[in-house]
Amino acid sequence: MATASIEAERLSKHFKVPVREPGVRASVTSLFRREHRIVEAADDVSFTIERGEIVGFLGPNGAGKTTTLKMLAGLLSPTGGHARVLGFEPFDRSPEFLRRVTLVMGNRNQLQWDLPATDSFELHRAIYRIGRTDFERARDELVALLDLGGLVDKPVRNLSLGERMKVEIADALLHQPEVMFLDEPTLGLDITMQRRIRSFLADYNARTGASILLTSHYMADVEALCPRVLVIHHGHLLFDGRLTELAARFGTAKSIRVQLAEGDDPTAATTAVAAAVAAARGAGLTVTDGPLVEGVVTFRVDREAAPHAAAFLLGRLDVVDVSIEDPPVDDVIDKVFTDG
Amino acid sequence: MPNGLTVAAVHLRVSALNEFQYRSNFFLQVLQSLIQVVSGLVVVALVYDKTSQLNGWDRSELLAAVGVFTIVGGLVRAFIEPSILQLMDDVQEGTFDFVLTRPVDPLLLVSVRRLNVWQLADVVVGAIIVVVAAADLPASFGPAAAAVFVALLGSAALIAHSMWLAVACCAFWVVRLPYMQNLFHYVGRSAQYPISIYPAWLRIGLTVVVPLGIAVTAPSEAVTSRLDATTVAVVAAVTIGTVVLSRALWRRGLRRYSGASS
Amino acid sequence: MAEAASLVARPVGNVRSLLALYRAQMRIAIVGTLQYRVYNVVELVLMLSEPLVYLMVWRIVAEEQGGEVDGFTPARFAAYYIAWSMVRTFTQSGSPHNWERQIRDGRMSAVLMRPMHPIHQDVAHWLGFVIARVLTWLPAGAVLCLAFRPQLDTGPVQVVAFVWAMVGALVLRTIINDVVGIAAFWVTSIAAIGSLMQVVELLTSGRLVPLDLMPGWVQSVSLVLPFRWAFYFPIEVLIGPMSGAELAAGLAAQGGWVVAMAVFFRVVWRRGVRRYGAVGG
Repeated sequence: MATASIEAERLSKHFKVPVREPGVRASVTSLFRREHRIVEAADDVSFTIERGEIVGFLGPNGAGKTTTLKMLAGLLSPTGGHARVLGFEPFDRSPEFLRRVTLVMGNRNQLQWDLPATDSFELHRAIYRIGRTDFERARDELVALLDLGGLVDKPVRNLSLGERMKVEIADALLHQPEVMFLDEPTLGLDITMQRRIRSFLADYNARTGASILLTSHYMADVEALCPRVLVIHHGHLLFDGRLTELAARFGTAKSIRVQLAEGDDPTAATTAVAAAVAAARGAGLTVTDGPLVEGVVTFRVDREAAPHAAAFLLGRLDVVDVSIEDPPVDDVIDKVFTDG
Repeated sequence: MPNGLTVAAVHLRVSALNEFQYRSNFFLQVLQSLIQVVSGLVVVALVYDKTSQLNGWDRSELLAAVGVFTIVGGLVRAFIEPSILQLMDDVQEGTFDFVLTRPVDPLLLVSVRRLNVWQLADVVVGAIIVVVAAADLPASFGPAAAAVFVALLGSAALIAHSMWLAVACCAFWVVRLPYMQNLFHYVGRSAQYPISIYPAWLRIGLTVVVPLGIAVTAPSEAVTSRLDATTVAVVAAVTIGTVVLSRALWRRGLRRYSGASS
Repeated sequence: MAEAASLVARPVGNVRSLLALYRAQMRIAIVGTLQYRVYNVVELVLMLSEPLVYLMVWRIVAEEQGGEVDGFTPARFAAYYIAWSMVRTFTQSGSPHNWERQIRDGRMSAVLMRPMHPIHQDVAHWLGFVIARVLTWLPAGAVLCLAFRPQLDTGPVQVVAFVWAMVGALVLRTIINDVVGIAAFWVTSIAAIGSLMQVVELLTSGRLVPLDLMPGWVQSVSLVLPFRWAFYFPIEVLIGPMSGAELAAGLAAQGGWVVAMAVFFRVVWRRGVRRYGAVGG
């Protein structure tokens, strides 16, 4: 067995897309001469994922994360580079490979609609060639872990969106795959359900050592689950490392959160803050203040000047509590993507 | 509240414009029309190869009937079926909500939303068949007769609309069934030939249970100069009956939809 | 929880799991279909209206011609069209357009991730669906027989062969639909191909009129195309008369077509998946 679960080596995927102009004249000419442009959905993406890692794929829509995921799952053939998962070439789609991985897509139903999930589980068992005892053990454990209870006996169409997602995940794991590909798994779910699924995934990873590669829009998914993050934008891999390092690499600001002593006197507090900011700017520091809420205000300062700015502000204000933080990852990512 | 006619006109125009985008659809529809027509004509040819009369209907008369059936089929597939299929889709997907929130009577809206322009090819082909067949027929076709014919075509369309609507209303109770549109196909097949050639029990069945039978037969009889007052009266009664029943079913369905949304 | 990969290490044998698949999928199809009782009845009644209309027309022709047409008495026509309704009801197997839809709404990804050839699930599903159909058809069929008194020229051997021929017809029809359907890997809309297939099928499968009544050249063409074997053949077997030799030859031909289409599908499927992987569907 290979040491690495997933290896992507200079993966690229280019699509030839026909150019469609509006208008009747263009439609007619397009019958004879089709123009194409090349869309580089993924370009030169390389990374390695070891056994048991949970890795998050971050990127805006159209960034190339689903494309890369699909290349690793064997659904798309790379136009350049190689992919290797568990030692297999994914696009060969050998049954041995397919039995050791699983793909879950958020908001997409694979279960039989009119029947209870147990029937779909049986089908899954037959397709993946799982022995009866092994299957029952896996099923019972998943039902317990995901807290499914009687849900598996109700027709899938009668379940709520969140319940359906849990059952879909259970179905996807019946054959105990070593690699899980998750495409937007918490899409459309409420906060509680999102949390439940996240904790389940973390738990499952700890118990079985299965590698998990997930794409998501929700920062909370990535923050809660993924020690390691791959950021993709315009088909390029921009970052590969810990989430905390992301802020350090791309963040250019730091937040200084201050709780003022004049908490119960808004007028006094506002005056104090205004004065402090003015003084700081006068001293050549870039400081922006956020809203003052119940005596708490957050300043944004340049990363390099943070300690100096902090000292300055603390000197000017009557402070009860202070903390210096990286900006929310959301903001960092936002900035990365809008800056291009 | 916008005028119903204006709404209809606008939708039809948009639909038509949409359809014009897809030229391939035109050839496809012509192909489909030819398939239907050819199969109908093949049977007629074979039948009249072995006999000369089908319970009083000779070849030209039956051909005229096939032509009328094709015309009605074309009208249904151009004006009625696309909207009804869209309705069923919307109810099953939940996008029917968008219909209900518009300031237009929902039944009107769902009935005029889609138009399949190219299916009108059927109407043209059917008309050609009728004309060709009628050339062999003894009687002449004055303006009064033409008016009656058009009126009967209109009632056929109304009956068809009510029937198709009734089938679509199934979607309010049975969510998510694939291939429900096959039902329309079966209904169509049963009305191929004028019901006057059948024994009494089948005539009644195709008048009361699947009224498309009498709907298509009446104009065929008009073209072949067989029309009598009883038939006209029956058609009128059936038209009113189907319209009333389908409206009732529609209202029931609406209530269920609004009550049962999750 | 057992460590991942422990289950994969000992997969169940191929045949056993195929059987399990068929059992599970068929069960799902049967239960799923029978849920909609009223709809099933309505659909069946409407489906029966087509052969009924054809039957009535040909009976009239037979009566006009003094009792028979080309060897077909009204009783034989009745047998033909009741058998027709059986075959029509029992060999329903979806449509090629399903594949097009699957690709469009992304469900094809899930299909491709399964370590089992999709044709098995397809065939198993329609087998189950048809079994549900048989249950709904039986009462209607009984009524039809009582009403029209069909005349059969068969014995018990032919009846058994009829069941076999119907299963063969169902499988063949499913594979044909699948072969046409996966053209969707190459063209966005298979409507044109579907229509073409429809014409040829209509004319050469015995759907419109008994093939024996068609001109000679049509009958010859129908012998070399698969459609006859997916529709007309089982009817022939049931209403007879068919000698043992003819029966054996027919079953062999049908089986041959099934194998040929299955092999063809396999080849085209592989190409189709490669194409899907190249252009992303």
